[in-house]
Amino acid sequence: MVDELLFFMEVLVGGLLAGTMYSLVALGFVLIFKASATFNFSQGAMVFFSVLAFCGFMQDFNIPFVLAFILAAFLMVVVGLCTERFVLRPLMNASEDTVLMATIGLGYVLEGLAQAAWGVEVRRLDLGIGDFPVPWIADNLKLFISALDITAGVVAAIMIIGLFLLFKYTKIGLGLRAVADDAGAASSIGIPLKHIMLLVWSAAGVVALVAGCMWGARAGVQFALVDLALKALPVLIIGGFSSIPGAIIGGLIIGAVEKVLEVYIGPFFGGAIEGWAPYVLAIFFLLYRPEGLFGEKIIRRV
Amino acid sequence: MSNTSANILDIKNIEVMYDNVILALHDVSLKVPKGKVVALLGANGAGKSTTLKAVSTMLASERGKVTKGSIDYDGTSIDKQNPSQMVGLGMVQVLEGRRCFGHLTVEENIISGAYSRKLSKGDINQELEKIYTYFIRLKERRKSQAAFTSGGEQQMIAVARAMMAKPKMLLLDEPTMGLAPQLVAEIFNIVKELNQKEGVSILLAEQNTNVALKNSDYGYIIETGRVMLDGTAKSLLSNDQVKELYLGISKKGRKNFRDVLKEESLIKKKIN
Repeated sequence: MVDELLFFMEVLVGGLLAGTMYSLVALGFVLIFKASATFNFSQGAMVFFSVLAFCGFMQDFNIPFVLAFILAAFLMVVVGLCTERFVLRPLMNASEDTVLMATIGLGYVLEGLAQAAWGVEVRRLDLGIGDFPVPWIADNLKLFISALDITAGVVAAIMIIGLFLLFKYTKIGLGLRAVADDAGAASSIGIPLKHIMLLVWSAAGVVALVAGCMWGARAGVQFALVDLALKALPVLIIGGFSSIPGAIIGGLIIGAVEKVLEVYIGPFFGGAIEGWAPYVLAIFFLLYRPEGLFGEKIIRRV
Repeated sequence: MSNTSANILDIKNIEVMYDNVILALHDVSLKVPKGKVVALLGANGAGKSTTLKAVSTMLASERGKVTKGSIDYDGTSIDKQNPSQMVGLGMVQVLEGRRCFGHLTVEENIISGAYSRKLSKGDINQELEKIYTYFIRLKERRKSQAAFTSGGEQQMIAVARAMMAKPKMLLLDEPTMGLAPQLVAEIFNIVKELNQKEGVSILLAEQNTNVALKNSDYGYIIETGRVMLDGTAKSLLSNDQVKELYLGISKKGRKNFRDVLKEESLIKKKIN
């Protein structure tokens, strides 16, 4: 009995921590959705682009870890800058649908650029953190929990607290919240939309880099990261598109539910249900609570 | 070089189109003298909001464009400006329908108005205290979420927020829409006070002709994108046609100035 409970705890905690990795990806979507009411289809490509550049800096140019990370983060700010200048600004007065299509195009551009610059082979990313159980926890609590999962959880928590402080207590954070509520009114009192756009795209880029590092360390830095980012979709449907706490909790729910279902119900379906179980959950949310747990209101359903 | 002309705003014969096809203003000219309150009156769809948005350069975001004529603000043409530059120059528009930031607190809403100014925390608090002397009601509700305040309070938030940008000129688009008469009076009292104590020039679009004229120095009446009549507020209030068409002191079933002009030309034809 105790063993069964321990096993359940292990599955649950492992799922929750893996869920923080979904939360990290979803966070990038939420940032951009808040400022421009657009689902950014290029977020997956941004994850891939940023982490591949990070690997490239380290492996092809032998730049040390920390410096390579800073360079990659800086590169994502440049990507944000270019996106604002060459994609968003010309489309300033276009409809949201047009911007949505533009983000799909931007995704292809980023995927292509990344592969052109750094090649197409799968790269290994070694963060110095193993994806195997932490001995101390295994010995003392009898739970087998991956060190990488724990790291992802801690990193996600730090990023969330950082973003929360940025939005709540800084001037540009106030500007962003104003734009998120009513972009027209914000521009009528002189809040320059282009600064806000630059901020959210840069922040989303850096969040993408962090998420990419976590995923890349687990699954290898490869093209499949683009599709992994789509896992953020059920996360957002459950958490609400415009809510940062929603992205976090949505990620945790998806992570926990998919692991628990996989272990306990998976065998009845022949296994591998974690690939689609989150989408089933998302459908139930769309049917019964379409704005998500924390969403403000439905602006667009994707 | 400061502008020596007596008008802070000078609109000359503007024509405005939306989407390159829909003509919203045909020919509008108006002046706002420095330190005065000017009312822009007319029914729904007459072109009041369009005129204000042409001045604040917010037309572009609605795919509108000034296609003829000129707008000079404080001695310079505005045609190369964008809304945040206009705020920097001291012209702030309070949009129709209040448009508060619902998820922000009342105080955050007001502070957001100072975004374009480089102020220290201390300066912001000082400005806030000054603003609260005009909007006493808002001080009590400073910590509430704006979405949960009443319509009148939201209108006050919108004006207070605009005042935080330290404007030389305010454009108010239907500030009394949907408000009870008592609140209408309260809002206009504040507007007058801001005008007199802070020296802010005001261009005000209203459907509430009577109250608007009683609180203004000068008035323009527009219909279907044209200025039909203008004059001092006093003269308009005592004008028979205005009384009949806009103040509801009517004799017959006339609807607007165009009908009046038609009737007059018919009479002329008969006489000839």
